[in-house]
Amino acid sequence: MFEVLEGGIQTTVQDYPGRVGYLDLGTYPAGPMDHFAFRIANLLVGNPQGAPALEVTAGGLKARFHDSRAVAITGADMQPTLNGTPAPLWETFAVGPDDLLELKFVKGAGLRAYLAASGAFDVPEYMGSRATFTVGGFGGFEGRGLKKGDRVRLKPAGAPAGQVGRRLRTDRRPQHGTHWEIEAMRGPQADPDYLTAEDMDFFFSHPWKVDRNSNRMGVRLESHKWQWARKSGGVAGGHPSNILDNGYAVWTVNVSGDQPIILVADGPSLGGFICNATLIYASSWKVGQLMPGRDTIRFKEVTIDEATALAASIDEAISERSIERR
Amino acid sequence: MPGSHAGNRAIIDVLSATATRPAVTYRYAGDRFILVEYGEMVLDLTTNFRIFGLNDALKKAGLDGLIETVPALRSMLLHYDSRRLPTRELVATLKKLEETVPAGENLNIPSRRVELPIAFGDRWTRADIERYVKYTRQDAPNIVDGHNIEYIARYNGLRNVQEVVDYVCATEWWNACIGFWPGLPFMFPLDPRYAIVTPKYNPTRPWTPEGAVGIGGPCVAIYPVESPGGYQLFGRTIPVFDLKQRNPAFRANPILLKPADRIQWVPVTDEQLESTRERVHAGTYRYTIVGYEALNVKSYLGFLEGIKPEVAAFQRRQAEAVKHVAIP
Repeated sequence: MFEVLEGGIQTTVQDYPGRVGYLDLGTYPAGPMDHFAFRIANLLVGNPQGAPALEVTAGGLKARFHDSRAVAITGADMQPTLNGTPAPLWETFAVGPDDLLELKFVKGAGLRAYLAASGAFDVPEYMGSRATFTVGGFGGFEGRGLKKGDRVRLKPAGAPAGQVGRRLRTDRRPQHGTHWEIEAMRGPQADPDYLTAEDMDFFFSHPWKVDRNSNRMGVRLESHKWQWARKSGGVAGGHPSNILDNGYAVWTVNVSGDQPIILVADGPSLGGFICNATLIYASSWKVGQLMPGRDTIRFKEVTIDEATALAASIDEAISERSIERR
Repeated sequence: MPGSHAGNRAIIDVLSATATRPAVTYRYAGDRFILVEYGEMVLDLTTNFRIFGLNDALKKAGLDGLIETVPALRSMLLHYDSRRLPTRELVATLKKLEETVPAGENLNIPSRRVELPIAFGDRWTRADIERYVKYTRQDAPNIVDGHNIEYIARYNGLRNVQEVVDYVCATEWWNACIGFWPGLPFMFPLDPRYAIVTPKYNPTRPWTPEGAVGIGGPCVAIYPVESPGGYQLFGRTIPVFDLKQRNPAFRANPILLKPADRIQWVPVTDEQLESTRERVHAGTYRYTIVGYEALNVKSYLGFLEGIKPEVAAFQRRQAEAVKHVAIP
């Protein structure tokens, strides 16, 4: 049992890869915004990588454990404490009955921390996944963020001793900063048919400020006066960003009027605006750590071959080979 | 730009148009998705039919590494695992499949016929439209006598509200795709003689009841949950989404409709709708869904050919009407 004393800004149960297979029925996958930190947390405590764990956004979580577990916290540094004593990041530690775990509000780089416990959080499966879909209010724990008084069940787990002291190798730890470089591929709708080459040059060189109004649906960037390669959207609408509705890839950059929005975990599956670039699998975790109103992004264009090579290297990083013992 | 994609780094490949199929464009959408587009940016149901033809062919091919497909109006998004199915291999397979997808007129698309009761100009949508007038925009030209339905009539040159009802019920509505929100259908009339159109709200409406039915441009949608919205409302139906899965229709998942469903509206009164909705939630109502019907594109195209003059006549009537109607 995991007893929530304070839920924080937004703490949700997620699993990976989330609710996959329902895009044609209008449902984005949900799941962790930073899948790298999420999967590492599970690996550290000996769970399958995709097992249900907590995503803590911006911090403020306070909770009590009712039994013995191996626990790992990864992602942004929220100065976690166990009974008031600093607890490590990216490293497994043991908790016991009545232990109080606290994550403060994030001060430095990054936005989201992940908390995995051995055995994993036990919430009902909904449409094949245990991930919380905040827009539809389903999945996870009652389809919502955790709040004071919630008691989340955990599945039975063995003694924590075997996992304690497992940690992510220092050279495999992601560097969180406030200025991010995020790899992306051009398209599906870019230059020369929708935007001009100058528009795309600007897109791939400008340091984009992350808008305050960003969440698990979309990470909004600042508005920009695009040149556009066409005068209007024709049959699809008056604005040149309008197209006949099409499916939106997860992690695509949607240009809605003048504003680019990265569509993320709980985003819309379909819509009538162009998407000029799409993040790749290996870089997508970074959007989970972007602090709204503070961080900036520079998109780095990669080819499909570069994306494939980066995918292999992140998969290699999310494996036992990255784990060492203290 | 079909045929001239050299230098267009967003485009993976292009198939030129043939006598029996439009051009096909394959676009990158990151390293886990590709977008397949047909023809030019025009709204044409026969293009949408072809998407379902490809979707069927893909399902039968059972590609290892293909995770899911998202059919839309003139395109299909494919979600795949590029570790198991390299992009070039996927595109090569798709191009080859184009040779096996029957030409438009030889397609038979598996399609369910779904009958849904609808209360036109109902009191629930009326209440939210009244709130819009009170709190959002008092002088909205798209609200006449407290509802949008008279405006829909005027905008399309129909005589009165009853004629809107007749038009909406005279055709089956083709569910071209589902999206934006879980379970939200984008539907188009299979019989273009009844293809009404409207502009959207301006500004959008902060409230719309669950089950509301509205039209924006040529597209009819059902609101799966209470939400903001921009479509002109004309009625309310029974749930098409139920989180609690209280009815057998929602047993597999909370979403009723699928792409390629055909919806037939059946007019009912507010009281009948209310009691039907109660039976839906009690689990005793049985949705009318005929699962075995297929849409034969050849006979459909033949039908279209025969009604061309009537379609043109209605379009002239609409064009004349629009001149005398304010846009929101």
